[in-house]
Amino acid sequence: MRSVLKRELLLNIKSLLIWSLSVGLMGFACILLYQSMEGEMKDMADAFSNMGAFSEAFGMSTLSIATLKGYFATEVGAVHGLGSAMFAAITAIGIISKEEDAHTGEFTFSLPLSRSKIIAAKGICVAIMLIVFTAICIAFYYIGFEILGEEMPMDQFMKFMGMQLLMNAEIAGICFGVSAISGKNRMGLGLGIALVCYAYDVMGRVVPDLKDYLFIGPYSYSNASEIFTGVATEGKAIVLAAVFLIGGVAFAFLRFNKRDLAS
Amino acid sequence: MKENVIEIRHLTKNYGKSRGVIDVSLNVKQGDIFGFLGPNGAGKSTTIRSMLGFLKINEGSINILGMDSVRDHEKILREVGYMPSEAWFYDSMKVKDVIKYAADVRGLDCSNEAGMLCERLKVDTNKKIKQLSLGNRKKVSIVCAMQHKPKLFIFDEPTGGLDPLMQKKFFELINEYVDKGATCLLSTHVLSEVDKYCKNAAIMRDGRLTMLDTPHIDDETFLSFYEDDEEA
Repeated sequence: MRSVLKRELLLNIKSLLIWSLSVGLMGFACILLYQSMEGEMKDMADAFSNMGAFSEAFGMSTLSIATLKGYFATEVGAVHGLGSAMFAAITAIGIISKEEDAHTGEFTFSLPLSRSKIIAAKGICVAIMLIVFTAICIAFYYIGFEILGEEMPMDQFMKFMGMQLLMNAEIAGICFGVSAISGKNRMGLGLGIALVCYAYDVMGRVVPDLKDYLFIGPYSYSNASEIFTGVATEGKAIVLAAVFLIGGVAFAFLRFNKRDLAS
Repeated sequence: MKENVIEIRHLTKNYGKSRGVIDVSLNVKQGDIFGFLGPNGAGKSTTIRSMLGFLKINEGSINILGMDSVRDHEKILREVGYMPSEAWFYDSMKVKDVIKYAADVRGLDCSNEAGMLCERLKVDTNKKIKQLSLGNRKKVSIVCAMQHKPKLFIFDEPTGGLDPLMQKKFFELINEYVDKGATCLLSTHVLSEVDKYCKNAAIMRDGRLTMLDTPHIDDETFLSFYEDDEEA
């Protein structure tokens, strides 16, 4: 199983580096831009905080983008939230189905390993990729804060990154389950799942009737403006995230162990 | 008396409403080179893929090396060298990495045997998989199937894409391993291969298996299975 895990990590390392460096560098650049925009932002902050539902949707009614904390939550929070979710989705949705899509299944599954062990190795690979991705992004953002020399509440920052990692894991769990039933790489579907989750959260914050159901989406508990203003995380959102994550992974194991493999 | 390495009893496998194989029973004894003939879509690959656990069988049982194909799936694969009809590997890997990976998963150091096989089959181990032709990918597949010196070889149309010299070397290798106690199941369309190298043979048609009295059948008898199949 260790050999399969090592092989999967090697096969995915290029994608990990491209995505983590892209998202990390974008966030890093955004953080550095804060200093040059600091003066103008005071006026902009007032305007942005009075844009009604949209200010609420993007957290600008509760956080001032004139502060580094508020700026990070609204700007980098969105970049990281979308970028990391897309990375999680495309990593997980192709990791099982690629074997049949690229016709490598007959080689892989003729090796003396049970299907469960192969799926486990692939699942662990996705988990490691998400953790390394998050660690690289944390390093970039932290260096940005250090260069600016501005105060940043690290406990809230680490909570935000932890919740983002959980959100990534939830989306990856769903996509992992989809990957087990598909004989083709459904990258488009994976990206669609990530974007629908994001759109659901934005809509939920704009449309009052949807507010009570925001907890269903993975962006509810990983929302930067709520974390940086100290709003308590809803327990039911975390429970539901665990259900989707565990459910997706369990489904992948059960389904893949029962199905015929395409040549 | 030699023991059965492969014992298939009343195997039935269908794909929803499509026919796969129907009530197939087959014994292959230790030391045999067993020819498995039949037209495209007759059920040869379905039988092989059922033996290896790629397909979930509907009815019947399969015993390989005295082990149940479902319960002891992992143990069986340890003792089997399989070469699929389409030799696909991860494109971005080098040949030497694929060969080492297949050995590593088995927890074995097969470097000596792999080196000997690569030399005899003229495999360039420094090339990437995506640079290889079908014939060269097949040679890599042969090395992966043979390097751990399995007790049972299962080859699904192994010689397609190989040049005549490599075909000859491939059968020399099979004979050498069989002389040392291995068994070989060979699925093929090439009657001359069965005639020349196999000790026993069976032919599949429309998902059903017929044992042949001898692997040395003439072209007319052989083609009659194909012609009947086309007429049907």
